[in-house]
This record gives sequence, C-alpha cells and structure tokens, in this order.
Amino acid sequence: MKPISQLGYEESRDELIAVVQQLEQGGLDLDTSLKLWERGEELAKRCEEHLAGARKRVEDALAAKDPEES
Amino acid sequence: MTTPAGAEMTDAEPGKSPDNPWPVRAVSTRVAKYIDKLGTVWVEGQIAQLNLRPTVAFIMLRDPAADMSLSVMCPRDLVENAPVKLAEGVQVIMHGKLQFHTGRGTVSLRVTEIRAVGLGELLERIERLRKLLEAEGLFDPRLKRPLPFLPNTVGLITGRASAAERDVVAVAQSRWPAVRFAIRNTAVQGPNTVAQVVDALRELDADPDVDVIVIARGGGDIDALLPFYDETLCREIAKCTTPIVSAIGHEPDNPMCDLVADVRAATPTDAAKRIVPDAAAEQAMVRDLCRRGGRALRNWVHREQHHLDQLRSRPVLAAPLAALTARSEEVHRARAAARRDITRLVSAEADRVEHLSARLATLGPAATLARGYAVVQTLPAASSTGRVLRTAADAPKGTRLRIRVADGAVTAVSDGPEGIPK
Repeated sequence: MKPISQLGYEESRDELIAVVQQLEQGGLDLDTSLKLWERGEELAKRCEEHLAGARKRVEDALAAKDPEES
Repeated sequence: MTTPAGAEMTDAEPGKSPDNPWPVRAVSTRVAKYIDKLGTVWVEGQIAQLNLRPTVAFIMLRDPAADMSLSVMCPRDLVENAPVKLAEGVQVIMHGKLQFHTGRGTVSLRVTEIRAVGLGELLERIERLRKLLEAEGLFDPRLKRPLPFLPNTVGLITGRASAAERDVVAVAQSRWPAVRFAIRNTAVQGPNTVAQVVDALRELDADPDVDVIVIARGGGDIDALLPFYDETLCREIAKCTTPIVSAIGHEPDNPMCDLVADVRAATPTDAAKRIVPDAAAEQAMVRDLCRRGGRALRNWVHREQHHLDQLRSRPVLAAPLAALTARSEEVHRARAAARRDITRLVSAEADRVEHLSARLATLGPAATLARGYAVVQTLPAASSTGRVLRTAADAPKGTRLRIRVADGAVTAVSDGPEGIPK
C-alpha cells in the first residue's frame, strides 16, 4: 500500500471513496475496520491538504494578477 | 559719191529741180550708203514691242522720256540668251548697226549684243548671287535657328533715330515691358553700310547676353536697299551663331538678307512681335493655367479627403480598439469563468471530502472514542497482525499493546491480568 504522503489528490480521494464504501458494506472484523478507518482518516486529511494547497495557489495567483487589471 | 544719173551732169544738179528728179533707187541707195557709214552705236531704250519670228526678232525700242522709237532687228537667239528676260517695258542697252532697208525704205538697228541696263543689270547680279548662295545651301530651312521664347537682350542694328528703330523698340516694349536692347546704330544705306552692319553683327554675336539680333530698316527703293543684297553681309549673317531676324524694307521688298536670316520679318513692327512674347497675353495665359491648376488641385484634395473620410469611418479605423476590447473582454470572461470554475471545483472537492470524512466518522469508532472509550490491540511480534484485545487473558505480562484513543494511539506493555495470581 502506497504511503499517504506520496498520493496525489485524485488518488487520495478515490481511495477515500473506496474506504468509505468498504466500511458501509460492513462484514469486516474490527481490526480490519479499525485499520481501514484509520487509513480513511489519513486519506481525508491528505485530501484536505491538497485542497488547501490548491485554494492557496488560486488565491495567490489572483492576488498577484489583480493589480494589473484595468 | 556716185551719181546714177551722171549723164545729166551738164544740167542742173539732179534731184534739185522737178526737171531732173532722182529715181527712188538713186535716193534709197544714197541713203543706205549714208546710214551705213554711221557704223555701230550703243543705244539705250525701253522695249515697247517684241515680235519673235522663227529666226529673227523684231523689237520696237522706245525712249522712256520722249515719244520716239527705233525699230530693232536681231537674231532670235540673241533675245533668248539675253542677260535679263526681255519683255515689253524692260530697259536695255543694245549694240548694233543702223541699216536702211531699200526694199521698204525703213531704217532699223541690226543688233549684235543686248545688255541689261541699270536695274536690269543689278537684278541680274543679284540673281546670280541668289543662285550661288542657294546652291551653297545658305537658305536651307534646316539651318534656321529658332528664336528664344524670351530673349535676355535683343541686339538691334538699325539707322540712328530711324522709324525702324522706334517701331521695333516701341512694339517690343508694349508687348514685354522688361525687354532689353543692345542697339547699334549704323548707316543703313550708302557705301559704308555693309562694313558697319558687319562690324555690329560681329560685336553683338560675340556678346553672350544677346540671344537674338534684329537688323531693321524701313522700306526704300532698290538703290537704298542695295547693301542688304551684299554677298559679304549675307555670308556674315549666315555665319552668326545668334539667331538673326531680318526686317529690311516692307512687303514686297525681298532683300537677300531676308533669305539668309533665320527669321524673315515683313516689317520692323513684325520683327518686334517675333522677338518677344506678348506679356499681357502670356500673363493671361499663366493666370488661366494657375486658376485651372489650382482648381484641379483643390478638386483632387477634396476627392482624396472624401475618400479618406470614408476609409476613416470604417469600423477598424473609427474604433481601432474595438477588436482589442472585444478580445480583452473575451479574456476577462474566460479568466472569470476559470476562476469561478477552479473555486467551484475546489469547493466541490472540499464538500466531497468533508462529506466523506463525515461518513467515515459515523462508520468508524470516532464518536465512541471521543466519549473516552479506547480500543486496545495486541501488538504482535513481527509478521503476525495485531488483534483487538477482547479478553484479559489475551494480554499476559509483557504483551505489547496499542491503545487507540480519539486523537491517536499510544503503545504500552501489559503487567498481566488484574487480580489473577501468576
């Protein structure tokens, strides 16, 4: 399993979706569920980091460009 | 002296009385002999009648000053080869011998030589010169130099205070007030004329300012105009490099100078008209041309202005920024859309992640852990997976444990189950 830090946003999100679906289906033992859930939490955090980064880049770009606008 | 009636010598002289008349033959013979003794004579007269026969010619020679005539006989050849064309009214000098014709009792001059007299001889000489100069090509129209449109200085050779001088100067000045003359007054008749006119011609021809020369003289008879038939003067005129206008005499005078000169003016006044343009007429023409030129130019400017205005009113020129503005707006719209989209995308993803997180939270033990519960797992030796600790017996002393709480996990080592002695 790929370390979380190396995952891109789409990979993290898709894996997160998969984790949620697996948990919703149920039928897993507690240990597996717990482990899955913990990875899900990390994936969600990774996704939020990616999104926060993206948002910042947009904001920065806009802030840099704005003074040039007529 | 012979006497045909010598037999009657004893009586009264024959022919002196009616008793002793001479017969016609005796008289005629005596007259014939007498006239024959007169020998040859030179006689001048005007031809009053000319009657050509196949071999002889009969001429009635009349004295122009008196009503007297002489009949003349000569070979026909002599008339045809005469130095001037013989016709009624022509003055000639004849050389001949008087002869009495016994048959008709008339006297006539048997002529052996005919000469032109005075004017006739003069004209003859002039005619010879004319033919010579013509043969040399001095009258060739190709040699005629054109007159300048507006001469710097007009050379004028004319008699002192002559009508010709006044005419040329006055007419030229009335046409072109600024006209300048270099006037050389010379004799225009008499023995000094040719030499003086030639000197003046050379002088004016050498002057670089003079670019046309007029030789002007009023009318006169042939004797007065004679210098202008002179060969030296004609050759000098032909030699000049400056165009020469000859205005000698009046129509129909036709001196040789006129033929050699570049332009032949009928009169001094005519010469003035040839050498300078009519200032008033030229100015009127220039004014008219200026007016027409100006109008043409104004029309042209007007037309071009109109054209330009039309071009300028086209959208690309009238609003040159329109295209840029349109594109700029396009860019603005695209940028705004892109910003909207990226923001929306990020927000949508954020919602999605938030939603997933929420679902994850409800699926997982997070809520339970938050209330203070913990999940304990045995930490297995390498390779075997850990398991949730469900019974105390599963964690004998020394068992490595992982305790998961709400915000993380800690590891611990079991001291063994409580209350159970070893």
